[in-house]
Amino acid sequence: MVDARLLDEDELRADGRHELGALDLARRLPSLIVAAKDVAATVMYGVHGRRRAGVGETFWQFRPFVMGEDTGRIDWRRSARDDKVYVREREWEAAHTVWLWIDRSPSMAYVSTLAMQSKIDRAVTLGLATADLLVRGGERVGLTGLTRALASRNIVERLAESMVQETIRPGYAPAELPAAIALAPRTQAVIVSDLLSEPAKIAETIHAMSSRGALGHVVMIADPVEETFPFSGHTEFLDVDSNATLRVGEAESFKADYIKRLAIHRDSIRSVCMSRGWSFAIHRTDRPASEALLALRMQIEAGQSSGSYREAV
Amino acid sequence: MFGLPLAFSVPMVLSALALLPALYYLLRITPPRPRQISFPPLKLILDLKPKEETPARTPWWLLLMRLGLAALIIFAMAGPIWNPLPVSDGARGPLLVILDDGWPAAPQWDQRVIAINERITSATRDGRPSALMAISEGARDVAMSDSSRALDRLRAIKPVPFLPDRLAALQSVNKFLAANKSTEIVWFADGVAGGNARAFAEGLVKAAGDNPVRIVTGNRSALALGGAENAAGGLEVRVLRADSAGTPQGQLRAYDLKGLVVGEANYAFGLSNEIKAKFDLPIELRNEIARIEIANEHSAGAVTLLDARYKRRRVGIVTGASADLAQPLLAPNYYLARALGPFADVREPRPGVRDPVSSILGDQVAVLMLADVGVVAGPAHDAVAKFVDNGGVLVRFAGTRLAGSSDDLVPVRLRRGGRVLGGSLSWDKPKPLAPFERESPFFGLSVSEEVSVTRQVLAEPEVGLASRTWAQLADGTPLVTAARRGKGLIVLFHLTADTTWSNLPLSGLFVDMLRRVVAMAGESGAGVQDQTAADANRVETVGPTRTLDGFGVLGAPPVTAKPIPVNFEGAATADHPPGFYGPVDSMTAVNTLSLTDKLEAANFDGLRLDMQALRPAEPVDLRPSIVTAAFLLLLADGLASLWLAGGFGRRRAARGAAAVLALGILFGMGQFVPQSAQAQNAPQTAPAKPQMSPRDMEAALKTRLAYVITGDKTVDEGSRVGLEALSRELGRRTSLNPGEPNGVDPARDELVFYPLLYWPIVAGRPQPTVDAVNRISNFMKQGGTIVFDTRDALLSRPGGPPTPEALWLRQLLAGVDVPELEPIPRDHVVTKTYYLLDNFVGRTTIGQTWIEALPPEQGDISTRPARAGDSVSPVVITSNDFAAAWAVDRAGNAMFPLIPGGNRQREMALRAGINLVMYTLTGNYKADQVHVRDLLERLAH
Repeated sequence: MVDARLLDEDELRADGRHELGALDLARRLPSLIVAAKDVAATVMYGVHGRRRAGVGETFWQFRPFVMGEDTGRIDWRRSARDDKVYVREREWEAAHTVWLWIDRSPSMAYVSTLAMQSKIDRAVTLGLATADLLVRGGERVGLTGLTRALASRNIVERLAESMVQETIRPGYAPAELPAAIALAPRTQAVIVSDLLSEPAKIAETIHAMSSRGALGHVVMIADPVEETFPFSGHTEFLDVDSNATLRVGEAESFKADYIKRLAIHRDSIRSVCMSRGWSFAIHRTDRPASEALLALRMQIEAGQSSGSYREAV
Repeated sequence: MFGLPLAFSVPMVLSALALLPALYYLLRITPPRPRQISFPPLKLILDLKPKEETPARTPWWLLLMRLGLAALIIFAMAGPIWNPLPVSDGARGPLLVILDDGWPAAPQWDQRVIAINERITSATRDGRPSALMAISEGARDVAMSDSSRALDRLRAIKPVPFLPDRLAALQSVNKFLAANKSTEIVWFADGVAGGNARAFAEGLVKAAGDNPVRIVTGNRSALALGGAENAAGGLEVRVLRADSAGTPQGQLRAYDLKGLVVGEANYAFGLSNEIKAKFDLPIELRNEIARIEIANEHSAGAVTLLDARYKRRRVGIVTGASADLAQPLLAPNYYLARALGPFADVREPRPGVRDPVSSILGDQVAVLMLADVGVVAGPAHDAVAKFVDNGGVLVRFAGTRLAGSSDDLVPVRLRRGGRVLGGSLSWDKPKPLAPFERESPFFGLSVSEEVSVTRQVLAEPEVGLASRTWAQLADGTPLVTAARRGKGLIVLFHLTADTTWSNLPLSGLFVDMLRRVVAMAGESGAGVQDQTAADANRVETVGPTRTLDGFGVLGAPPVTAKPIPVNFEGAATADHPPGFYGPVDSMTAVNTLSLTDKLEAANFDGLRLDMQALRPAEPVDLRPSIVTAAFLLLLADGLASLWLAGGFGRRRAARGAAAVLALGILFGMGQFVPQSAQAQNAPQTAPAKPQMSPRDMEAALKTRLAYVITGDKTVDEGSRVGLEALSRELGRRTSLNPGEPNGVDPARDELVFYPLLYWPIVAGRPQPTVDAVNRISNFMKQGGTIVFDTRDALLSRPGGPPTPEALWLRQLLAGVDVPELEPIPRDHVVTKTYYLLDNFVGRTTIGQTWIEALPPEQGDISTRPARAGDSVSPVVITSNDFAAAWAVDRAGNAMFPLIPGGNRQREMALRAGINLVMYTLTGNYKADQVHVRDLLERLAH
């Protein structure tokens, strides 16, 4: 029989409701990070191949010093090998900025027996892997509302750390949607969430974020149970965020209705995304994370020119 | 209730069962808790109204379980009791309880006392007076008493260690019944027929008239030990039972005088009611046994006491005849050994011992029997004299050698010379034995009419001859005389121990006489009674020392116990309770059952009796077990509810379920472990089968020759080819079809499969180990034959120094019991077994071949062309190198040249080999064949 549960306290310490939780998360992070890096490496080799030797150098080129420049920019080590004076020039200034938002609301802490991972684990993995991938590709990545756009090599650790920092802050309550702040033009947003809020709120947020022309990618994480509704018999459904319950005599009679409602919900979100040129993808936690990452990567690459979306299963 | 031995202490509670239907209704409409499932997208459907809302019903099996649970609790509250106490059956008159208090009642004594207690108490409750009578005190009048006095009396009664006669009690029962009309009689019988059970029952029925007579019997048969016998193989004890009720097997324990366990023996009754259990112990331990009892059977009958009469003496037999092996029926030691075997441990000197008397005395014998040994001279005489002085018993038998010699180790002076012997005393007819005198130790043995004496040695008439005479012929001639010497005793039978002078050794009387004589042999000689000096008219009595009570426990004798005559035999009575009588160092045992007693179940068929069984079991309160069952059901119900609510999937719930299960299992263990603890008898592990090599298996399946591998390649190859050729010839010429010969190593290989072992001696090889020598010795003892071939005929000279091979062989055989050897005589059966041979040749012809010496020739040998011993010679020694002469391969090429040579020599060597093989396989059969002409002639008539 299909069963589903909320993650209990031990597992939920991943988000850390209190200070001890941070340590637990820190202990837990390496595996998530390794998973994220693994996923990222797979995707990179799969799509790009090895295009350059060595990774993580921020150095771009040396160019001859031009009179009038700030002498502090002279690279003396290079200049000592020659008669000329050189300036170390970095390419990073030209990089794009991608704002990442990972949903860590209570509804994400949910896993069924059909899934490989809980939704929150999958979302964090996917988000961090995306960040790693983007930074290696030379982009800058930041968490909306938490960090500035970073391009450091240990971006995964940095982002994870900041998430832990946030969770142990007193009065922390996970938000269901990112802050509705307009992003700078020519930046991109990546939203990983189960998007179970009301479609109106979602539309409002996306409109706000894209008001200055930023593009975005929405990945909707869903547990297979949430899509197929495999329940039957005398069942009492409990809501996660509120105290709402629904007791039904025969759960199977609700299946058709539920699936129809879900489709309507998704369609409304999808149409909002399309209207702003954002991409929209659905990812189920019974599929491998690399699949979603690959799709997301291709969306981001194609992101600036095309507004179409591609649905991953 | 319902035909079951079930009762309730609070039956009213059972009416609560009527509430079960209400419970059923209530349970039915209360459905189980729904599954609870968290569902994040619930908001999407929160506004939907349920289309169909049918509450799930409680499943029927859960309902049934809960109803059963409720019913069990109601039952438990009602106080169910298994095997409840019997209720009074409404008799009006007084109650007379008759109690069998013989030893068969002892094992279930407590239950009997409890049952009687209940009867009397229940009668008192009904206002009936009661009386109690024990059978052993039957002659006393029975008085009516109130219940407390009757119960006091009941507590005072203990079982007696004998079987009282019930008829003695009938008189007082009649008197009581005459005084008290309409008495209810309850007889607690022990179920054993002994003590006139049937007659007593008939008397009771007659006396009671219309009033009921109840008999309450135990539910298991009484067990008893019917005497022990110290036989040759072990101490055998008769175990008896009255009928097949009760446990069919058990254990006997043997204790010494101090009460320490000496040994244990198991018994199992099959279909019969009498079996023998055997203590398989060394004789020294067996002689220590003073008491044997059936484990956990606490009654005097289940104990048997053993005194000196049961001790098994070690008896040495030395005979004057030298080699009588060929005709055992003519040897005196045959009769003696057979007669002594049932009660004594017979030792005979090993054949070939130089001084048999001294060697047998070295075996620590208690009795020395010299059968027709004439002059006991030199150190042997001194040894025998010292033996007798120290308390040994010397028994001598007459014969031609004794008649012609004189020594002082005889009780009476014998007449010598030709007149002594029967030939010159013209007997009219053989004389029978006279009955034994009172003072003779043989007194009490019945003299068989058939015993007759044809010859004897005569005692010189002298003063005191009559007092030394133990047995005499019908005409008064002393036949057995005895005299003390030192602490010991010398007994002389004026007869031979074989049948040449009389047929006494063939009679059972001979066995009994020997038994009495052997019984006189004390450990130190102090116990030997000086019969010759004893006052002829005194009948000695011994008082009780320690006696058994009814439960079979040794204790101080009761005041009523009376002394017994020393030669008391028979079962115990009230006057002579079972136990030990007499001084500690020579105690006489009196047993509850005599050697011939049987145990029979009482038969009350056809009598108007109300038979009841002693209540088989105590009342059992069923509450704990029912409550346990209810608790387990409760646990099961909890698990089922958990499962129905979908609880097993969640980790926390699973943890809870595990805790519930563990609790239940713990509780269940606590409840049920004591019952299962009965299975204590671990099965005895089967002895491991010895490993058997495939080679041995093959050797066992077919007769084949074998040779010993010496390690010298040439010799071994010669042996192999030679034996192969011999096997081939055997297959061709005889009906024996041997398999391929095997090479064996006596240290490693099992030899038992080979009838004939060919062993060529190679001087340079190391001697076999001690273990191997023992195996060779065993092989020879078990009937195998080894042909040693020293192969040195050309090197050795008669009278010259022994060759290295001969020395090697001597060294080997030093550890082996080799019989006396002789060169093969011309009439030995080995020369006739297949071919008629003059000598045994091999590669050489001049060597000598030795074989076990035959017994000296006896009788008329002219008609017997062949002689043979009783068995096949275990060893044949030759120096002619047989195998080399046989060694011819399949193509006909000889391996070795012969000396002097020629095909005839090779043929003769083969014939010698064939004869040897036939000899080992057929034994002395060919020696008997010589009679075939006579037999045929007889058949023709």
